[in-house]
Amino acid sequence: MFKYELKKIFFRTGSIIAMGILLLLIGLVCWFATDVYYVDRNGVKQRGPSAVAKLRAEQKAWAGYLDEKKLRRVIAENKKIKSSPEYQSENETDREIAYSRGQGFEDIRTLLNKSFAREFREYDYYRADRLSEESALRFYENRVKLLKEWLEGEANEQYSDGEKAFFISRYEDIETPFYYDYATGWSRLFEYAPTLVMVMLLVLGYLVSGIFSNEFSWKADAVFFSSYYGRNRATAAKIAAGFCVVTGVYLTAMLIYSAVVLLYLGADGWSCPVQILFSGWKSFYNIAVWQEYLLIWAGGYVGCLFIAFLGMWVSAKTKSAVLAVTVPFVLIFIPSFLGNIRFSLVGKILGLLPDQLLQMGNVVGYFNVYSFGGKVVGAAPVLLVVYAALIIPLAPGMYRGFRHMEIG
Amino acid sequence: MELAVTDITKRFRDMTAVDRVSCRMTKGVYGLLGVNGAGKTTLMRMLCTLLHPTEGGITWDGEDIFAMDGSYRRILGYLPQEFGYYPEFSVHDYLMYIASIKGLRPAAARRRAGQLLETVGLSGSERKKMKKLSGGMKRRVGIAQAMLNDPKILVLDEPTAGLDPNERIRFRNLISELAGERLILLSTHIVSDVEYIAREILLMRGGKICAAGTTEELIEAMPARVWRVPAAKDQAGSFMKSYKTANMKAVRDGVELRLLSEKRPAEEAAEESATLEDLFLYYFGEKAGEGNV
Ligand SMILES: Nc1ncnc2c1ncn2[C@@H]1O[C@H](COP(=O)(O)OP(=O)(O)OP(=O)(O)O)[C@@H](O)[C@H]1O
Ligand SMILES: [Mg+2]
Repeated sequence: MFKYELKKIFFRTGSIIAMGILLLLIGLVCWFATDVYYVDRNGVKQRGPSAVAKLRAEQKAWAGYLDEKKLRRVIAENKKIKSSPEYQSENETDREIAYSRGQGFEDIRTLLNKSFAREFREYDYYRADRLSEESALRFYENRVKLLKEWLEGEANEQYSDGEKAFFISRYEDIETPFYYDYATGWSRLFEYAPTLVMVMLLVLGYLVSGIFSNEFSWKADAVFFSSYYGRNRATAAKIAAGFCVVTGVYLTAMLIYSAVVLLYLGADGWSCPVQILFSGWKSFYNIAVWQEYLLIWAGGYVGCLFIAFLGMWVSAKTKSAVLAVTVPFVLIFIPSFLGNIRFSLVGKILGLLPDQLLQMGNVVGYFNVYSFGGKVVGAAPVLLVVYAALIIPLAPGMYRGFRHMEIG
Repeated sequence: MELAVTDITKRFRDMTAVDRVSCRMTKGVYGLLGVNGAGKTTLMRMLCTLLHPTEGGITWDGEDIFAMDGSYRRILGYLPQEFGYYPEFSVHDYLMYIASIKGLRPAAARRRAGQLLETVGLSGSERKKMKKLSGGMKRRVGIAQAMLNDPKILVLDEPTAGLDPNERIRFRNLISELAGERLILLSTHIVSDVEYIAREILLMRGGKICAAGTTEELIEAMPARVWRVPAAKDQAGSFMKSYKTANMKAVRDGVELRLLSEKRPAEEAAEESATLEDLFLYYFGEKAGEGNV
């Protein structure tokens, strides 16, 4: 009967269209994520596999520990370029030529911008250009210093002493120097993952919304519930079908997306700390890039499963597919309407809404922590555990809700 | 083998759809006859455990059917009045799915589905999509579906609705054929559907069973008698206002009426033997002018 439940889901015009949209979207997201350019020494932008290869080769030349020696070299090289006539020129092409020379260490240059920012939350694109080679010494120290200043100033009210100590110890505990490698494949992959996961969730929400309610709208309910297994196994088969659709579609879409991006841009840099990524410099999660990747997978999966199951539960209780489709929309869009209040109590609550699971890459960069009896935990593990635990009662919930349905 | 309904009532808010109904059924065909809104469907839904009665109980061989749960549904086949299906499924897929939720193993299901399609005259249509079948063909798949588990109790809610006269006759024969060792409860508001095949007829009105028995018993017990009355054209109207009229036919010098009345309605009236149609008229019919108040 499980096989036929799947047929009921996929043999519908709407589902075929939804799957088509999803495929199109995967294609689009892959295209955006892999759209990387390389500027050649003549100042001309190049795209395509050969451009990726050149960019990768130039950046890999800078791979290695970001110790004082390397940072001094970056600052010196950068200075040289910035004082070159091409950089000073008014001519667009000349400036591109100047940029071209610094492409190999551009990622490291942005880290310098971040480290030497005047304030924790500031980002000044030209900061690195004003650095002296001696500053290289303070590259790691600055990171902690800015955090401390921020925690004592702007963010003073938002965190308890325990939480502040937690952030600082995480910052101090990280192993330095960071190992840098070309990691564009991963940073691009992380950047577009939330878009993919969110649209995928809407498609999944649509696919599973009718699992229960269509029995009623097709008026197949009377035969279903008067059959031997209608109120037990056949209901369980519906839940199993929902689970397998979510799992299957999610795994397939993420696999395609990851494979395309990483095969095209390269999977180098997988073992680097996330702090070498533009989005990860400030993260208090001392994890490697591959670990963030796993977090994104796990978060996306738990999030999709939770929200899809919640939708199914609603439709099992209300017989309404419309309500079921609404659930993912509400859960994704309401938090983004409430804005980016990342701090304060509202921020604490927003930080625990299920939409966060769909963008674990961003969560890794947020300063959301929760204290449990004196122990401080980052939002990422809390989200995973809480929602994985919440999925568990949903299955028996929809089972009971559906099997006791009266048909009148 | 006995299905016993004891004093069941079903209320929807302030509306009583089934009102203290009791009856006992064993094997054979039972016809549930009643006009629209009489409560037939509601009664059948309760017999199929889809609805819980507000009051009263239903037992199968002495056991409460709701307590029996799966073991009752295992011996039940149901063709609902509004027979819904999965539109994109082929007939074969549909039957295989229903067989699976009825607990049949795939091999047995395939065999059974093949036999039943032959019985209902649909062999060859296995690959057709459900939504592409005609109304009559859908009903036949509906019957096949209900019969998959070879049920001891077969409940058919207006299985002949929307069928043309030929289909209707085929259907009646099919039901007689299926009767055998089972209990069939069939609802309809068309007398001829059950007149010759039902072992017992239950007349339902306003949520109550107002009369039950074999055709003969019911006719015997009917308080009114049937009269053939010749009348002039201009007299017809006044007769029809005073008596339930089964028929009026034009004859050479006026009309001939078929009336229901306890007493002789006119000097020239001749008594005729009553049929089930007359009985239906007696219980459910209206005199001309009634009902449009
Ligand atoms: N779920 C419900 N909620 C409220 N009222 C209902 C419900 N189901 C049935 N009724 C009412 O109960 C009464 C009996 O309905 P039922 O469908 O049992 O009649 P029926 O004899 O099957 O009629 P028909 O010949 O039109 O099928 C009707 O007045 C109907 O409006
Ligand atoms: Mg009905």
